[in-house]
Amino acid sequence: MVSQFGFVLLFMIAGIFLVLLVLGIARILRPSRPNPEKNAIYESGEETEGTAHVSFNLRFYIVALIFILFDVELVLLFPWASVFGDKALFDDTKGVWAIYAGIEMFIFVFVLALGLVYAWKKGHLDWIKPSQEETNFKSPVPKELYKDINEKYA
Amino acid sequence: MLTLLLLIVPLIAGLFLLLNKSKSNFTPVVYIGIAVQLAIFVYAFINFKSNPSLLNFDKAWLPDFAIRFHLGLDGLSILMVGLSVVLVSLILLAVKGLKYENMSHLLGLIFLTQAALIGVFSAKDIFLFYFFFELALVPVYLIANFWGGENSSKITFKMLIYTVFGSLFMLVSFIFLYMRGQSSDIDSLRVTVTLLPNAIKQVLFWGLLLAFAIKMPVFPFHTWLPDAYSQSPTPATMLLSGLLSKMGVYGLIRILLPFAPDGINNYGGIVITLAIIGLIYGSIIAIKQSEIKRLIAYSSFAHMGLMAATVLTLSVSGMQGAIFQMVAHGFNAVGLFYIAKLIFEKTGSRNLAQLGGMTQTAPKLSIMFMIVLLGSIGLPLTNGFIGEFLMLKSVFDFNTILGVIAGLSVIFGAVYMLRFFQKTMFGPLSESATEISDIGSKELAILIPIAIVVIVTGVFPNLILNVSGTFVNTLTNLVR
Amino acid sequence: MYPIIVFSVSGLLMLFLGLSVNKKSLLPYNLLFMLVGLASNFLDWNAPGLYFNGMLEISNPIILVQWVLIFAAILVSGISSRQFDDTHAYPAEYYAIMQFALVGALIMVSFQNLLMLFVGLEILSVGLYVLTGSDKRNLRGNEAAIKYFLMGSFATGIFLFGVAMFYGATGSFDISSGNSVANNLLEGKMFFWLGMVFIFIGLLFKISAAPFHFWTADVYQGAPTVFSAFMATIVKTAVIFALFRLAAYSFNLEYENWSKFLVIIIGLSMVIGNVTAVFQTNFKRVLAFSSISQAGFMLLSLIGLGAQSYGNLGFYSLSYALATISAFGVFLVISSNTIVEGRPSENINVFDGLFSRNPDLAIILLISMLSLAGIPLTSGFWSKFFVLNDAAAKGYFWILILGVLMSAVSLYYYFNPIRASFKKTDLGKIEISSLSKYTLYVCAALTILFGIAPNILRSLF
Repeated sequence: MVSQFGFVLLFMIAGIFLVLLVLGIARILRPSRPNPEKNAIYESGEETEGTAHVSFNLRFYIVALIFILFDVELVLLFPWASVFGDKALFDDTKGVWAIYAGIEMFIFVFVLALGLVYAWKKGHLDWIKPSQEETNFKSPVPKELYKDINEKYA
Repeated sequence: MLTLLLLIVPLIAGLFLLLNKSKSNFTPVVYIGIAVQLAIFVYAFINFKSNPSLLNFDKAWLPDFAIRFHLGLDGLSILMVGLSVVLVSLILLAVKGLKYENMSHLLGLIFLTQAALIGVFSAKDIFLFYFFFELALVPVYLIANFWGGENSSKITFKMLIYTVFGSLFMLVSFIFLYMRGQSSDIDSLRVTVTLLPNAIKQVLFWGLLLAFAIKMPVFPFHTWLPDAYSQSPTPATMLLSGLLSKMGVYGLIRILLPFAPDGINNYGGIVITLAIIGLIYGSIIAIKQSEIKRLIAYSSFAHMGLMAATVLTLSVSGMQGAIFQMVAHGFNAVGLFYIAKLIFEKTGSRNLAQLGGMTQTAPKLSIMFMIVLLGSIGLPLTNGFIGEFLMLKSVFDFNTILGVIAGLSVIFGAVYMLRFFQKTMFGPLSESATEISDIGSKELAILIPIAIVVIVTGVFPNLILNVSGTFVNTLTNLVR
Repeated sequence: MYPIIVFSVSGLLMLFLGLSVNKKSLLPYNLLFMLVGLASNFLDWNAPGLYFNGMLEISNPIILVQWVLIFAAILVSGISSRQFDDTHAYPAEYYAIMQFALVGALIMVSFQNLLMLFVGLEILSVGLYVLTGSDKRNLRGNEAAIKYFLMGSFATGIFLFGVAMFYGATGSFDISSGNSVANNLLEGKMFFWLGMVFIFIGLLFKISAAPFHFWTADVYQGAPTVFSAFMATIVKTAVIFALFRLAAYSFNLEYENWSKFLVIIIGLSMVIGNVTAVFQTNFKRVLAFSSISQAGFMLLSLIGLGAQSYGNLGFYSLSYALATISAFGVFLVISSNTIVEGRPSENINVFDGLFSRNPDLAIILLISMLSLAGIPLTSGFWSKFFVLNDAAAKGYFWILILGVLMSAVSLYYYFNPIRASFKKTDLGKIEISSLSKYTLYVCAALTILFGIAPNILRSLF
């Protein structure tokens, strides 16, 4: 007798076995003629340049975060939709169910939308920041000195 | 109820003085505080025998834990409360006449110490006792730290760590007793103690002893004392020697004796021997001191050692002597430290080698000094004599050899005290003393009451012994 | 339950207020929201029950703890006045995150379902990761934030793994389901025990009990002081109550098994916290190590686990919060007056001569340090007394002796600032904004009040 966790183990073993099997078959059947072009890293047909360990512009992350916000929202929307459209529940509650569920989802989306508004208002969606902020850092070196040097070697 | 009032009056006065922002308007508060307290105490003392319920105050403090805010006065407590009321009043007046900055705060802290002392001496609940026992230290620590000399921060800190360390062991013992007895009342816990297994009784003895032994201090735990006494400002020294050290002896009688009689029977001899060693050791070092505050500090240490020893002999005379000596030594020590401060203010020196001949310029001071000094030596017809006599008798009864050794301390006491007097008052007029003035009526107002107490209680010791008599008899019967 | 909703909404409002209102008037808004939350908390008074399909439990004792949390948050906001005035600070976001974190804390003390505990823990932690790194120009702050984040998420992972084990063993996330495995054979219990150990470790990590304390000092030191205070009080209170709930409802039948290990952790926390604090010269690090030892003392009430323990813990948390917030508050004022190398100095010697520079602050510092050290007249004495008494009643007498010994050690470092404050200096007076001044007065006054009459607070629980 196999327990519930036993099935999980069986699945894992079967999964590993299948992958190895398929790769093994491919290995036997395919011709093996490597060349530099073939071994190169695939990047949409472009040639690779430099290393991958460079700092990205921080703004990428903010945009990515905002994207994920709405991306993840869908994860909830799908199961919600299937429950929302449940006819049996709708009939049982004489439609109140749909109203509640609808309002709930509107609140959810509204809160997410607020996040977008906030990011927008803060200016995180503007790729080019309009002005350079002047720091109030007090340096013992006077500012004119920097200016002189900049002009001299301009 | 009266006891609570006695506790609250100095508390209010102290808080008022501490929060007081104006520099000048605090004098009436001090006088009113002292007067009200004295009046309440006198009223309480009159009603002590006839109407003891008037002195009781009992209210639930932590109902869930059966801990009560229970104050009451018996024969021992009323003496000690009286000592703190009268003596701290004198200290307040004395300090007020001296030159200190932030006088209002200083007096406020002294009032707070007084409140804590009255709490210690009247608490009937072990946790209440511990509460005030620790609390009394804080204002004295602050006084010593802020008004003290150069090194005071380090030295008073040592004192604080030492004494708190000791009293934490007392707390552990108390929690243990409380868990066993499910009560924290001092009287009802006595029954619990008798039911404990023997080994635990012995541990309990050491746990409780440590706190009191450090506070007094008894011989091996005294290292904080000389520095603390000599570096602290006079108000703190007077409080420490006159009253806080008495908390230790009081704790021995009130807590250790009823709670650990078996431990005393087993180990009492060791502690008594240590205390007698401390007595002789302190006396000998006092003889060699050239700094007057250190001299008084060591003499104080010696006296405390004798008190500790006699309390542990469990005899009526020893207990009575120790109680009497607590009162007597309180007045004497405060008087001596005050005189030392006066000498320092007038001459600018505390070194015996630089002093001398003050009888010529300050006769009144030297008369007062003489009276207090004789009390401290234990000359018959002064208060020191009664206490010393009773205490030495009890040590003799306990062990003749120890008694003989302890008896030596009387001689040593006379040696260092008279040397102190001779070096400061007699001899050629020192340079520093040539243009000094005698003490005025302000100083006399402090010293004359002390001198009166020294003589009156010396001639009529029953004034004090009668008050504590019943208590001592019941306690010794119970413990033996 | 209501404050959870109030703070969720007010946090959003706060974010948008930051866009329209000027910086200085944000603090009053923040205090207003928190007071509304505090008031709304009492709507549930005497209405015990389960909410959100059995996800949260509300009862009077829980409401009191939530009250402690919100009150502590108000005090932390109080001492933050004038701290976020410079151009690089974003007070609207800080206060909003504080309110969100508070939501997490409130959930953590009232959860009925382990998933809710996880959600609360994450809301609280993620907010704090951000707040720790909020001073972007401080290198130590950056280090602290990354350290806290890495360590914290690691702990959360361990915790979550434990929750999964718990689910595997009992088939339910409900906290009371822990009892269902009581009669299982040893085999079935192994899973449960594994889950229990992992859950404990994850949460002990968050209250920085030794030996899971290594992040504490660096994080407290690197985080802006206001948020260190937030971390020391609110996080600690929330997590310890979560632990208490678990110990009392899920693992109470396993008491014999975990109490032996927990008591060792307590002993370690006390020793490591107190002994290491002695050697610190940075005041925030001192408070960090002191918080480790205080966590050890708080955990004693889990060992007690009796009828009184919940109240003891409540008393302890509030008195600890009052003392810690006033210590941080005083320190905040002084250190921002003592600039060394362009940054506020955090060394203990900033307290030098405080008594002559501002006597009120010196007295408040004195009271708070006495309370942390557990000297009578302050509430700290009673809180230590309660928990030690509680643990000793269960027969762990040695931990009582250790605790008392360690209190003696702690005197040393708690008295260092006091000693420094009575030194004589000729530095100028220190000015303090009236809001932080009154906050500190409230802290000190309550510390003394609960020290003299502990029953006022104790009888509530």
